[in-house]
Amino acid sequence: MADRRRINGPVGTTNPPIYDDAPEKQSEGVKVTRSRPANVIRKMYLKTGVTPSASGSAYLEIESSGNGGSGLKLSCSVHGPRALPRSTPFSPHIILSTHVKFAPFATKQRRGYIRDPIERDLGTHLETALRGSIIADRWPKSGVDIIISIVEGEQDRETSKAQGIEAWDTMNALSGCITVASVALADAGIDCVDTVAGGVAALVQDAGNDAAPSIVVDPIPSEHEKVLAACCIAYLPTRQEVTNLWFKGDLPASDMDVYTQLIEKGIQASKSANRVLVDCLNETVG
Amino acid sequence: MPLDTSAYSLALLRVDGRRWNELRRIHAQIRTQAAADGSSYLEMGHTKVMCVVNGPSEPGPRRGATSGGGGGGGQSKNAEVAVNIVIAGFSSVDRKRRGRGDKHILELQSTISQALAASLHTHLFPHSTINISLHVLSQDGSLLAALINAATLACVDAGIPMTDYVAACTAGSTSTYAANDEGADPLLDMNHQEEQELPGLTVATLGDSDRVAVLVCESRVQVSRLEGMLAVGVDGCKQVREILDRVVREKGIKMIQEGTVERGVGLNDMELD
Amino acid sequence: MASSQHVLLSPAELAYLHASLNLTPPIRPDGRSPTQFRPLVAETGILPGTNGSARICFADGTEAIVGVKAEVERTRTRHDFPSLDEGTEDDDDLDDNQNDVIKGDNDWVEMTVEIPGYRDDDAGTVFLSVMLSEALLADGEFTKRLWINQRFHWKLYLDILLISPPLSYPLPLLSLTTHLALLAARLPRLKSEGDEDPLFDDDWAAAPYLYPRPSEKGSKATAPAPAARPPVTLLVMAVGNNIIFDPSKEELAVADVALAVSVGESSSTTTSTTSSKPTAMDIDTEETKGHNLRLLSVRTIDPPSRLTPPGIPNASNSAYGANAGVKDTEKKKQQQEQARTAESEAVEGVWKAPRGGAKTLVMATMVQKVLEKGGVADEVLDALDGVDLN
Repeated sequence: MADRRRINGPVGTTNPPIYDDAPEKQSEGVKVTRSRPANVIRKMYLKTGVTPSASGSAYLEIESSGNGGSGLKLSCSVHGPRALPRSTPFSPHIILSTHVKFAPFATKQRRGYIRDPIERDLGTHLETALRGSIIADRWPKSGVDIIISIVEGEQDRETSKAQGIEAWDTMNALSGCITVASVALADAGIDCVDTVAGGVAALVQDAGNDAAPSIVVDPIPSEHEKVLAACCIAYLPTRQEVTNLWFKGDLPASDMDVYTQLIEKGIQASKSANRVLVDCLNETVG
Repeated sequence: MPLDTSAYSLALLRVDGRRWNELRRIHAQIRTQAAADGSSYLEMGHTKVMCVVNGPSEPGPRRGATSGGGGGGGQSKNAEVAVNIVIAGFSSVDRKRRGRGDKHILELQSTISQALAASLHTHLFPHSTINISLHVLSQDGSLLAALINAATLACVDAGIPMTDYVAACTAGSTSTYAANDEGADPLLDMNHQEEQELPGLTVATLGDSDRVAVLVCESRVQVSRLEGMLAVGVDGCKQVREILDRVVREKGIKMIQEGTVERGVGLNDMELD
Repeated sequence: MASSQHVLLSPAELAYLHASLNLTPPIRPDGRSPTQFRPLVAETGILPGTNGSARICFADGTEAIVGVKAEVERTRTRHDFPSLDEGTEDDDDLDDNQNDVIKGDNDWVEMTVEIPGYRDDDAGTVFLSVMLSEALLADGEFTKRLWINQRFHWKLYLDILLISPPLSYPLPLLSLTTHLALLAARLPRLKSEGDEDPLFDDDWAAAPYLYPRPSEKGSKATAPAPAARPPVTLLVMAVGNNIIFDPSKEELAVADVALAVSVGESSSTTTSTTSSKPTAMDIDTEETKGHNLRLLSVRTIDPPSRLTPPGIPNASNSAYGANAGVKDTEKKKQQQEQARTAESEAVEGVWKAPRGGAKTLVMATMVQKVLEKGGVADEVLDALDGVDLN
């Protein structure tokens, strides 16, 4: 259905400009490979209180891969807790509503204003991750809205054309969403059992020789030849519990060890992100 | 593919080999689904629909596109009949996806809702809702008629008191409007091909009587032909009613024999073989 | 959505149910063993107008119909990156070499889920359809089956209808029905060759199955893809340390954690990337006729238990004489203390909605239980083998 309420871009297709420098690099056969150690996540910048009108807000930026691509930039605002409208039936708990939206210009392919299935799916994942962390029964009959806009999605110019890569990018986006929403919830003063943070780990096949697949945390799909499987985990470090787990890929059932390792690495990534998160919150308070 | 109507005048046989006053095979089942209060499955030729009735029950939170008819919802003195139609993407030859807000579906929903609200004793269930959800699995003409018949059967299965069966069927005419043929014969129970080319109407009557409950004509037709079509349609509805009645009775007998229900007092004269 | 639907159980009932599921072995309300599924009726090929169709009816009355429809579509070449296409067009004379490059695209599959009473853009409905398509597309092998030639491909539409009202969380039902519909799906046999406009055989009996049958030995040798099976998504939940399969609505209402695990089966020829001893594996599968399972996706489902109303322990319930005859100031202090303990500590027999997440160990065991040899996934696939495909 066409969106008639806003001014949209042109209906027909337009060819995006092709910049010369990128293909040149490719033709030289220089492919950017991962320079970080396998168990180190990228640097991230986290700040609270970016939206004064919201009861809590946060901004997250993850550095770009340095591959002509863009990093991840998210902003989250939390509205509430506030009373539910009179027509809603009684609820003994706070009602979460999560809303994840890519800005129309966030990715290489322009996104519409109406949320597409991927964005709705991200919203559901986020809701599951947060619902485990907040103490919902302290606010009966109330609701809270968590709105995340992805200002810049993580996508590489050259590699996004290859199939299936976008799917892996959504996992990184989800982990960012979880971290930023957790900070914004804390900023809004909503009681949580613990701060939840997102972490991604992937089983990757590197380019060139048929080396055995290895597990890396916070993967950038374009840096690897092939991503075999990945998981995104929302983890509560002090309780040592997982509130949301999303695994996808293709693993033989006989390799449960690989799966377990992947989950462990995901938790490790989540713990790393959590340290940044706690520092940021300390800064806000102090 | 355009329908060749010229052949009809030669052998007086229609594209699928039927005479002008013949119905297609109607096959129906009731109580197809254990979880619902009432359910039915109906085939009219290759048109296949399923119906699930829930209620009368307390109206839940209003959601989505349900079209209410025969009463103003939870606060009224009559039960609301909410009809929801899902036309499966695979139901027609060429896949065509219809959204929920599709005007055609909304019209079907309100037609069925109003027709049933008139026949069901909705005044017995104030402040409640009867949810009828219809699924179209395959379509080959006479869709509205099939939906009405399936909904009637499911309401019977749900045990909602009603005046009589609402039986529906379609009627058409052997030549197109443009042909302006005075001697055009009426046709009974149109299939998809005939519906595409020829003028037609859907009529539903209340039980054995000649009382028309629904009359929908969406095509251009000469007034002189209308009367003939209507008469054939009403006659077809009586045949359909007989078939529906037989389905209900057969199921009832089977249930008594299986011992799922007690044999009622008034049923002594009913033959059980 | 269906998973967070309100269950009409009182806190006392929830506490009782939770306690009985937490026993070793757990006692389920319908007397099933933890890994036992509810009985179901399944049939395939019910709709001649589709390429493949299936219907499954669970014993509790929930019913789903899936229809698969395929249409020929022209493959869009990507114009925005001419460098990609140049490579393939340059060496046209190496045609036979080119034909081997079978590429799939995830856009070739379109899945819609219809649940009566829910909008099709409802978060839960979208979640279901994304989850089901994710499992289907996970290995990237499926879309290759839809490839016709360089210029054309099949576009597959999967329409999933839930006929009954959503009584229990419909995920396993929809997944099993989709599995059967895909197994029963056939595409017309291609008569044309190479990259010319596709021409198909009219004979439906000659149409090959989308997933070639292992029993057809002759065709198996020539089939481009080895015999595999569509994925199955299973719903697993845990209460305490007990892992319970195919939970009913009431059981899900007290779940500590619920997972949807998608499992696929590939043929044994697929090189297992990380397996330490692939040869031994092959022999093993040949002998035991076990399934070569692959883990495709795992997702946490938000259990509805988090939205259940909590119970109040008698100690803090004034209706049971708590705090009677205590001075006001003391009473207040006491109440505050009680409120704190009530929130943090569980009282035996009083229901409290679970808080926090799940222990990693429990989650790992849940996946393990699905995948292990002779485990639940094996059983389910064996049972589905028994369905007569016509």
